[in-house]
Amino acid sequence: MKLQHYLGGLEGLGPVSTETRVFVESWETRIFGIHAAMMALSSQLPLPRTSSTFHTVWTWADLRKGAESLNPFDYFKYRYYEKWLGGISGYFIDKGYISADELDRLTEDYYKDPGKPLPAGGEAAIDDRVVQYLVEGDSPKRDVPVAYRFAVGDTVVVKNIPTVEHTRLPGFLRNKTGTVETVYDGAYTYLCDTGSDGIGAAMPVYCVRFDPAELWPDNAEPNFSIYADLYAHYVEAPASAAAKAA
Amino acid sequence: MDDRFEYRNDREAYSAARVRALEALLIKKGIITDKTVDTVLEFFQTKMGPFNGAKIVARAWLDPTFKARLVADTPKAIAELALPAGMAGAEGEHMRAAANEPGVHNLIICTLCSCYPWPVLGLPPYWYKDPTFRSRAAREPRAVLKEFGLDIPQSIEVKVWDSSAQIRWFVVPERPAGTEGLSEAQLEALVTPESMMGVAIAKAA
Repeated sequence: MKLQHYLGGLEGLGPVSTETRVFVESWETRIFGIHAAMMALSSQLPLPRTSSTFHTVWTWADLRKGAESLNPFDYFKYRYYEKWLGGISGYFIDKGYISADELDRLTEDYYKDPGKPLPAGGEAAIDDRVVQYLVEGDSPKRDVPVAYRFAVGDTVVVKNIPTVEHTRLPGFLRNKTGTVETVYDGAYTYLCDTGSDGIGAAMPVYCVRFDPAELWPDNAEPNFSIYADLYAHYVEAPASAAAKAA
Repeated sequence: MDDRFEYRNDREAYSAARVRALEALLIKKGIITDKTVDTVLEFFQTKMGPFNGAKIVARAWLDPTFKARLVADTPKAIAELALPAGMAGAEGEHMRAAANEPGVHNLIICTLCSCYPWPVLGLPPYWYKDPTFRSRAAREPRAVLKEFGLDIPQSIEVKVWDSSAQIRWFVVPERPAGTEGLSEAQLEALVTPESMMGVAIAKAA
């Protein structure tokens, strides 16, 4: 198991941060902008081709895989955009767009001379595509025939599926029982095929209500409910769960 | 001893130099342009941001039928308003609004990462991305809200929504008392990002 999947309910962490800023260092704005551009220029999107030399796929799934693969101590140690900087730099090196040496060398240059200007240039169509992506988005909803196994009010059990590098199943819900609150209209893909984790292809998504008293017996606040949006692959009927346990 | 628990003493200066070096290389190699990053940042200052959410909430306060439509079909109701293009754009393709009401307080979290409704709220603040918040809000939301200065008594039901699939959530806070004479623009000014995620309520100025 990966701690990053099991954050919900973790104890002993001390007070929360109440920092309302989005960026706490100005450099963080730049790595956010680079990430947004990568998502927009990612090769699987049906957007106008540009002269950008970016020719691979980059989605949230790639960023999340990086964060989920970290040593959990590092996950807590590094600030949000520090993890992004590490993950995104690593991606460009791994895919051969840049070399680790040239990044290190240029980092030294900018470290010594922070005012050194950036290179100039680039085709405006690249930036047009970035804006087009932000405006249009990348809907995961697909108009395909859908069979809904569950209806509002049904009881479902969350599967304890194998996790590989990436999941959208919060760990604290594994093996727990909940009640379907909403059956979302249509079917939803995920950004990548998560392998034995089981999402990627278009499938229903359910909003499921859980009772915190069942999640954390005698150790949850009263009079509250927790709801999670779960891909259909993650839930099954109580009878199926019982048959497996027998 | 390893250095896992130590930071470089030039932590921020080093990251600043590294991200600048990365941006420079990406421009030089033709991946992005010299204006790409600024274009993205400007978009979030002018087109996608909490100023949109504030308009949506203020309208819901003034028009209960709009509020009902907003909760029933969030994207369709938002499309009624004259907001910038992109309200169903990146990270807002499928949004859902949870309205506070007497006896019910809603809180949005993302225990897996930082899912956030970009078109209406812009980018997530640090508190939302904090692993401590994401851990604790799932088990003890009232204790967490208290640390934000918000006291939600046990008599009020708390609904915590964990954004684990592709739906992006926001909260419609209740209209504060004593705002009867305010214009729509004045009402918008009372709506903070925190009140639209549930760690605050809207307050009369």
